[in-house]
Amino acid sequence: MVAALFAAPLAPVVAGLALVVGDRSIRSVSRHTAYIVSLVAMLASLLASIVVAYDRPVLDRQWVPEVGMRLHLAVDGISVPLLLMTAAVGVLVVLHARHEQPAGGTPATFFGCLLLVIGGGIATFLVQDAISFFLAFEVVLVPMWVLINRFGDRRDPRERARAAGTFVLYTVLGSTLMLVGILTMSFAAGTTDLAGLAANPMSPGKQTAVAALLLIGLGIKVPMWPLHSWLPRAHTVAPTAGSILLAAVLLKMGTYGVVRLVVAPLPDGVERLAPYVGTCAVIGIIWGGLVCLVERSLKRLVAWSSVAHMGFVLLGLMSGTTIGLQAALFANIAHGVISALLFAVVGGLKHRWGDDDLDTARRSLRDVSPRLSLALVIGFAASMGLPGLAGFWGEVLAIFGAWTPGGDRPTGWFRVLAMFASLGAVLAAGYALRVLRIVWHGPAEGGLPPEPEPAGDARGNEWLVTSVLSAATIVLGVIPLILLQTTSGAVDQLMAVIGR
Amino acid sequence: MLTDGRFDTSTLALDFPLQPSHLAVVLQVAIPVLILLVTRRSSHAFAIAGLFSFLGLAAAVALLVQQTRGGAVISPDSIGELPLGPGIDVPLHLQVDRLSVLVAVAVGLVSWAVQLFTRWYLYSDPRYRQFASAVGLFTAAMELVVLSGDVLLILVGWELMGWCSYLLIGHESERPKARRAAYKAFIVTRIADAPLVIGLAILSLGAHSTGIDAILRHWSAAADAHGTALTAALLCLICAVAGKSAQVPFQDWLPDAMEGPTPASALIHAATMVAAGTVVLGKLVTLLELSDTARVVLALVASISMVGAGVLAFLQHDLKRLLAWSTVSQVGLMLLGLAVVSADQTADLGIAHLLSHAMFKALLFLMIGWLSVVVSGTTVERLSGALSKHPEARRMVGIGLLALAGVPPLVGFVSKDLIVDEAARRGIDGDFTARIAFAALICVVLLTAAYTMRMWLILIHRTGSQRVQVREWVEDSYDVQDVGIVEMLTDLPQVDIHGRPTDRTAPIELPDDLELADQQPGGGARFGLQLLALLSVVGGLLVLSPMLDVDWKHPNVWLIGASLLLMGAVGLLVRLMSVGTVYGDAAARVPLFVRASASRGFAVDSLYVAFGRSIVALAQAVSRLDDVLDRGVQRLPALSATVVRRADRLHTHRPTSGLVAVSVGLVAVGLMGVILW
Repeated sequence: MVAALFAAPLAPVVAGLALVVGDRSIRSVSRHTAYIVSLVAMLASLLASIVVAYDRPVLDRQWVPEVGMRLHLAVDGISVPLLLMTAAVGVLVVLHARHEQPAGGTPATFFGCLLLVIGGGIATFLVQDAISFFLAFEVVLVPMWVLINRFGDRRDPRERARAAGTFVLYTVLGSTLMLVGILTMSFAAGTTDLAGLAANPMSPGKQTAVAALLLIGLGIKVPMWPLHSWLPRAHTVAPTAGSILLAAVLLKMGTYGVVRLVVAPLPDGVERLAPYVGTCAVIGIIWGGLVCLVERSLKRLVAWSSVAHMGFVLLGLMSGTTIGLQAALFANIAHGVISALLFAVVGGLKHRWGDDDLDTARRSLRDVSPRLSLALVIGFAASMGLPGLAGFWGEVLAIFGAWTPGGDRPTGWFRVLAMFASLGAVLAAGYALRVLRIVWHGPAEGGLPPEPEPAGDARGNEWLVTSVLSAATIVLGVIPLILLQTTSGAVDQLMAVIGR
Repeated sequence: MLTDGRFDTSTLALDFPLQPSHLAVVLQVAIPVLILLVTRRSSHAFAIAGLFSFLGLAAAVALLVQQTRGGAVISPDSIGELPLGPGIDVPLHLQVDRLSVLVAVAVGLVSWAVQLFTRWYLYSDPRYRQFASAVGLFTAAMELVVLSGDVLLILVGWELMGWCSYLLIGHESERPKARRAAYKAFIVTRIADAPLVIGLAILSLGAHSTGIDAILRHWSAAADAHGTALTAALLCLICAVAGKSAQVPFQDWLPDAMEGPTPASALIHAATMVAAGTVVLGKLVTLLELSDTARVVLALVASISMVGAGVLAFLQHDLKRLLAWSTVSQVGLMLLGLAVVSADQTADLGIAHLLSHAMFKALLFLMIGWLSVVVSGTTVERLSGALSKHPEARRMVGIGLLALAGVPPLVGFVSKDLIVDEAARRGIDGDFTARIAFAALICVVLLTAAYTMRMWLILIHRTGSQRVQVREWVEDSYDVQDVGIVEMLTDLPQVDIHGRPTDRTAPIELPDDLELADQQPGGGARFGLQLLALLSVVGGLLVLSPMLDVDWKHPNVWLIGASLLLMGAVGLLVRLMSVGTVYGDAAARVPLFVRASASRGFAVDSLYVAFGRSIVALAQAVSRLDDVLDRGVQRLPALSATVVRRADRLHTHRPTSGLVAVSVGLVAVGLMGVILW
């Protein structure tokens, strides 16, 4: 079953490269071929991921002995959910791209870039070696840049270029800091293996310095306030499929990196920095929530809500308790599913409306497009943390975790943070209902509701994608155990290591 | 399947993973799931809603029977224990006890009656399916709160109820007022809920478990050592309860929630959301006894809300809003029932009043819904004299109002008198909280008598009915004109979209609303109403059963007599005030500006709006600040580009400049070498 370890990331990467290269050959690849190839590659990758998740094979070989780099592929409870979500979202993104293919380049390039991003994401969650982690982390940048810069919003080329540029420069800055951190750790520990790094801790002072570097580097990707500026821009401009990938895959790579590279190997450094990072996280929650209350662009609003939600994830990670870690890992996955759903719906709406300005009066979505409106309601209800949907458990438990932080963290300060986080959840309700009031209820003035317009509603692939994501949102909310049980063993191990 | 001793016929004990307590919740959840997945037509949706809400009620009744015979499983599992590490157990189990079972049956009953009534009330509504689904989910959430034995499950049901109230109140989202009311209801209750998570975190992290038994056990033992933490947690809970139960200072969302269809109001007020606070505090009443601060705060909040709402109810111009304020007042009464009990007692007093209130308030709301369809409105002018045409409606409204006023032997009297008795008894014993409660209770007994009397006098007003008749003639004449136009249209040849005449001369279908005005609810809906009326009359007998542990054998006869006399006097006074007014409205004697202000709830709404504005102003400031941050970030690449360009220029435009730079560097290095050497 080791083959599955290779198949999961390589199927999309190879197919993606083939599409991009094939596009440059004499005859460009047709849209249909590109779609079929991508779909087959992604299904193969999903299948391989399921096999990996079920069988948990391990591959550990020497790769580049000069820097102690190994080809070490394996999964544990923390990476399995992320792996499965990435592969599943990959399939959905390909399906959605068939439905909504933006102008700006050939279909094969578009599909190819999508596949490369997904493949890079899958590889990130599979590798157990810090250097290869860094490589996989960086693979996604260029295709994502192409997606934003070439296939983004057609209305404003300058804004598109600027968003793509900000995205790349910002994340490259983060990656550079991360690389410095990784190399420092590796040379101190004499190994680049993630487990080996955790087994050879450094002195507390050094840990703090390295953790600060890594947290800034990864915090850009997560994103953590005040390093979030690239996110709303990139999301607003990116095509729908790109937005889904950004939210469901790229952001998750950031939090996964925090767990693997910071929380596990640098417990003392994290403990020292936790109050500061936690404060940034909670400022992010409040900040994002407040901006969402007045934001006019619907897509930007969803992007801002991501900043707030990732704040809960960071708060959980920084609490240093089992409950906080479990909450963070849950909220991480939940955010991936919810924001993928929201971007699918909101992208569809933007496509239909021509823009996504909330100040433009439109007919109420609940009457015009019942299917899309149901997905929108589920998405925003989940976004505000409604129980029975995915967003609830992660956020509530993150607050629980922050209430009694582990180690020598300042309890009083974390309690203040927990209180502000719970206020942030109220802001989430405020902006979610604001959107529902404007879009779902509409500005009608009395009279009977208008007839539905089946032609404008979600159909075919779009409906499939939104209903699968809606169903996933509900399932995670109703049966949180499926996810919490998966992560529980790995979290207990992690706590046993860092709780020394 | 149920053989091999898995089902014990004497105790009805069932040895099976799925218990009646699960079914009471799951069958209600099945309503929205099935309606949204399977049905496309209102009639099919009603078949599902009616059937499953009846089955849900049946499950609750089965649970009641099990409980009385001792066969119920005390703490059945729900979705499994969450693995959250050694610091905390999250068993997520349900809890079946006397009180929760009684409330579960009441909730199921009211919900069933509401589902039956809704089919008639929203017969021609294109969104009937969504409404019935939301009612199902709402009921499920309340049943979950009632039957939960875990604070996280309480939180789940609690928040879901807020959401369902949003859906129901905003049902007619074509109307801006309904949209605003829905938004307001959710946001106000959600703001009040913010401390709830914190309160629950304090309680459960202290007890290392989210199970209610474990929390009660831990905190009962630790109350002395950690009194402040307990008080803080309880105050957080009381804040959330005040939000959901519409107590001061969150009271203003409830009257606005009258923008929802009447069945929604019946559900929200009678059995679910508003009463949930009593249920939750009832589960934790043992802890309430341990913290005097929390008790006093609860008693003050409840007393102020109760008396204020009573005054407002008397002054309302819209009788549906009158009922809404009366709910605020009655919920205050329930909460006082929890605040006055002594340490060894359980929450029976509050729960008993919850049950009786559920019956008569559901009845009253559904009746107002019926009447409002008949006279198409709920204001005093519209409803004045509305009862004179419908004797059956008259009887049921009469029963509801008598129960609300607390006239013996109706159910409202029994449960209210028990609370007054207890408050008097403990007040005499020197308990400060009970004294506050007693004073407020006396005021409320009188105020309730006043506003119920006023409502009754308006509804049976004679001359008012004549006025209504005259207005109906006028409106009929409009209808005749309408019909004339319609007939004219049907007589003309029909054309299709291309303008060609079609053969069919099908008559234009009139919307059902036009015929609805003379209808009365169908058999099912009327049956539900009669059931509620019957229970409002004889429900008081419940205190005799062992299900409720209350002291009914030692009534304070003097107190009862005195309060009845006073109520009679107030009733007489209201009657006198109503004489000679146009609509039989006693409140017409009150100055207009007072009434106008009261109809707006003394303009508390403007405070809410001001609060909202300040948050939005803060949000705008933050948004501007973020723009500044963003501009700074945008300048970074430009800055680096400038630096690069400068360096570039240094390098290419003047070939010698690079040489100069290198030589300067060499000189510097040389100097440093000389100095350091």
